Amino acid sequence: MNLLADALASGTVTTGEAVTFWILAPIALGGAIGMVLARSAVHSALLLACTMLSLGVLYMLQSGPFIGFVQIIVYTGAIMMLFLFVIMLVGRDSRDSLLETLRGQRLAAIGLGIGMALLLCTGLARGIGSVTAVGLDEANANGNVQGIAADLFTKYVFAFEVTSALLITAAVGAMLLAHVERRKGDRPGQKELSRLRFRKGNYPGPKAGPGVFATSDSVATPALLPDGTESERSISPVVPVRELTPAEAAPKGTDGGKRK
Amino acid sequence: MELYGPIVVLFAIALAFAIISVVGARLAGPRRFNRAKNEAYECGIEPTPTGPGGGKFPIKFYLTAMLFIVFDIEIIFLYPWAVAFDSLGLFGFVEMVLFIATVFIAYTYVWRRGGLDWD
Amino acid sequence: MNGLESFGQDPWWLVGLKALAIFVILVLLTLFSIWYERKVVAWMQVRPGPNRNGPFGLLQSLADGLKLAFKEDLVPKAADKIVFLLAPMISTVCAFTAFAVIPFGPVVSVFGVETPLQLTDLPVAVLLVLATSALGVYGIVLGGWSSGSTYSLLGSLRAAAQVISYEIAMGLSIVAVFLTAGSLSTSQIVAAQQGGQEVTLFGTSFTIPGWYALLLLPSFIVFAISVVGETNRAPFDLPEAESELVGGFHTEYSSLKFALFFLAEYINMVTVSAMATTLFLGGWQAPFPASWWPGANEGWWPVLWFFLKVLILLFGFVWLRGTLPRFRYDQFMRLGWKVLVPANLLWIVVLAAVRAGTQQPEWSAQWVGMIGGAFLLVLLVIWFWPGRKKYEQATEPDTGLGGFPVPPLDLQVPPSPRVKRLTAEREPVSVSAGDDATAEGKEG
Repeated sequence: MNLLADALASGTVTTGEAVTFWILAPIALGGAIGMVLARSAVHSALLLACTMLSLGVLYMLQSGPFIGFVQIIVYTGAIMMLFLFVIMLVGRDSRDSLLETLRGQRLAAIGLGIGMALLLCTGLARGIGSVTAVGLDEANANGNVQGIAADLFTKYVFAFEVTSALLITAAVGAMLLAHVERRKGDRPGQKELSRLRFRKGNYPGPKAGPGVFATSDSVATPALLPDGTESERSISPVVPVRELTPAEAAPKGTDGGKRK
Repeated sequence: MELYGPIVVLFAIALAFAIISVVGARLAGPRRFNRAKNEAYECGIEPTPTGPGGGKFPIKFYLTAMLFIVFDIEIIFLYPWAVAFDSLGLFGFVEMVLFIATVFIAYTYVWRRGGLDWD
Repeated sequence: MNGLESFGQDPWWLVGLKALAIFVILVLLTLFSIWYERKVVAWMQVRPGPNRNGPFGLLQSLADGLKLAFKEDLVPKAADKIVFLLAPMISTVCAFTAFAVIPFGPVVSVFGVETPLQLTDLPVAVLLVLATSALGVYGIVLGGWSSGSTYSLLGSLRAAAQVISYEIAMGLSIVAVFLTAGSLSTSQIVAAQQGGQEVTLFGTSFTIPGWYALLLLPSFIVFAISVVGETNRAPFDLPEAESELVGGFHTEYSSLKFALFFLAEYINMVTVSAMATTLFLGGWQAPFPASWWPGANEGWWPVLWFFLKVLILLFGFVWLRGTLPRFRYDQFMRLGWKVLVPANLLWIVVLAAVRAGTQQPEWSAQWVGMIGGAFLLVLLVIWFWPGRKKYEQATEPDTGLGGFPVPPLDLQVPPSPRVKRLTAEREPVSVSAGDDATAEGKEG
């Protein structure tokens, strides 16, 4: 009695199921391999999301629609989105440093990786070889979601309640890492800003728009005052003033030469 | 299994439409090279050079994403509970109130520390 | 097995036909709703709106779409080419796929085959819509990131933070529906809203429909608010705030790639309207009791009711856009996280308590109603309790040096030009600082 032969013999693996598996399994595997090999961190994250998505669909294939969609919503939707945010947080061009900071890290990683692979292989071999699947129909008798609820909220109620403690830890940890504490007086309020604006020596009115009455409408072109001089205040200090060459300032050919 | 087939069909139609649009626009539209046109749009000035690490953004968004995960998981637990509520009875009600209350502690903590304030 | 026997029985040609029909309906509905939106907003602003192409300007959006197809397809130099191409496709495909589980009507006969007017239904159908909307965020985030432009990146970040925040509020608001209907399948939720309650009020008795919008009003309100945030529509259109961020995440997109983003936005709008119809407004059921017209909920008529409801909800979207100014980002996040989420959790607990109470045979329904009512009353009192801080009348005029620069209290407002035309003559405006102003004016 082995699981694979049993399933094939009894015809529980339909053609559609087999086809979907053979399409999705290479995608999932390719995504996982690509994630390790991709140069850009965002590409890695995307390939990982692709793998997660394929796994979600595979769960649905195994008559677990709820867990399949949860995989897509929570892993692909929420957790991978957090990954993407973190990658953008550190900058798109940052690369992994290839310098080893821990001695023997690479050797240990290889050893542990092989160990993990061996563990997985033995587990799989046992699973395919000598375990018989039972109870799928009973578990889904009242519907998949109801079945999960019946187990989760009665048999595994302790694990369920402990999850909430895990969620607290996640929220508190994120706060400790990412939150910048601010006291009330740290930022100038509307009133302080308003006072600053009307202080002596500061012109309270709006700045002249750049490029007004000028030869170009770029923000880098200063506005002209009525007497023809350039207004200093119309230019943002971060924008370098662009000197237009006569060729650039001349009318372009786009208006068909109708205007001078 | 038969229930998922139609979704795949609709997905395939949408994907075909998206690919045809993207490829078709490439073929149908003109192509006139212009150096300025291929720059990032920044109101006519030279594009801001990105910093040493590329485009970085506030860490605030990380906190939002983390809170999103926390509540997403809570919601995922709420769905089967809601569907099977009638069969779980009073016991199910009490345990979910406990769960919501525990997550609410985290929520209040984040609120009190100012983690939900934007400026 | 679980009430979904009528699904998954269609022959292959019918599946293809239905999928194609949904695709065509969504594209046509997008073209229509763009025109609809422009026309309604135009009328609200007392101008004609698009009226050149086709009857009543109906072909305007088609003309716009075709024009976009013949525009140059730009890829910025700084863009990540593959992701830049992928992002609009992700958005579009996710938007279309969500519609697979929306029920348009009951079982009808198509070319001799009995089939429900719905592409398919799953025991967890609503989760499909949530999953596609979760994946649709990728289109926005990746589109903004891959453009390599500051405006796009900022726009996409705002969009992503906004969508995920309001996804929480939306996800919580539909828990009450599942609690009452006892199912996650869309066709069963519609079926659960069938029938109504006979109510006698002031001597006349009438049937109120069993729609969840009436039964679960707080959930419906939260759902309605959060889907506006979820679809990035006014007044929550911060990712595309054109006065701050140019075009938001699609600043760098042109040609049909831009059109795909646009299409996805409008399809999302239609999808959430259809979801609101299905979950809260009785789905395809007639908007009046079946006793008036027994055939109203049979055959093809329900399709009409369904689209009528969707169009009314779409009108709501346009109405909001036409009347409300845009939120500030901090106000918007405060509304999502500090109001909608806790209010929603509280409402779920209250509803569950009432439901658990009614299950106990020894507790009579009246008791539960009274206790629940008292609890709600207390909550409402706490909610609307006036704050301790009262508005204080300013005692002395502030001249602008010590506090905010305010106009003097004895400022006389100049009469409007219309009054001037009537009286032909106007008193000069007397302001306390008037002397300075005239002196400056003479110098300049």
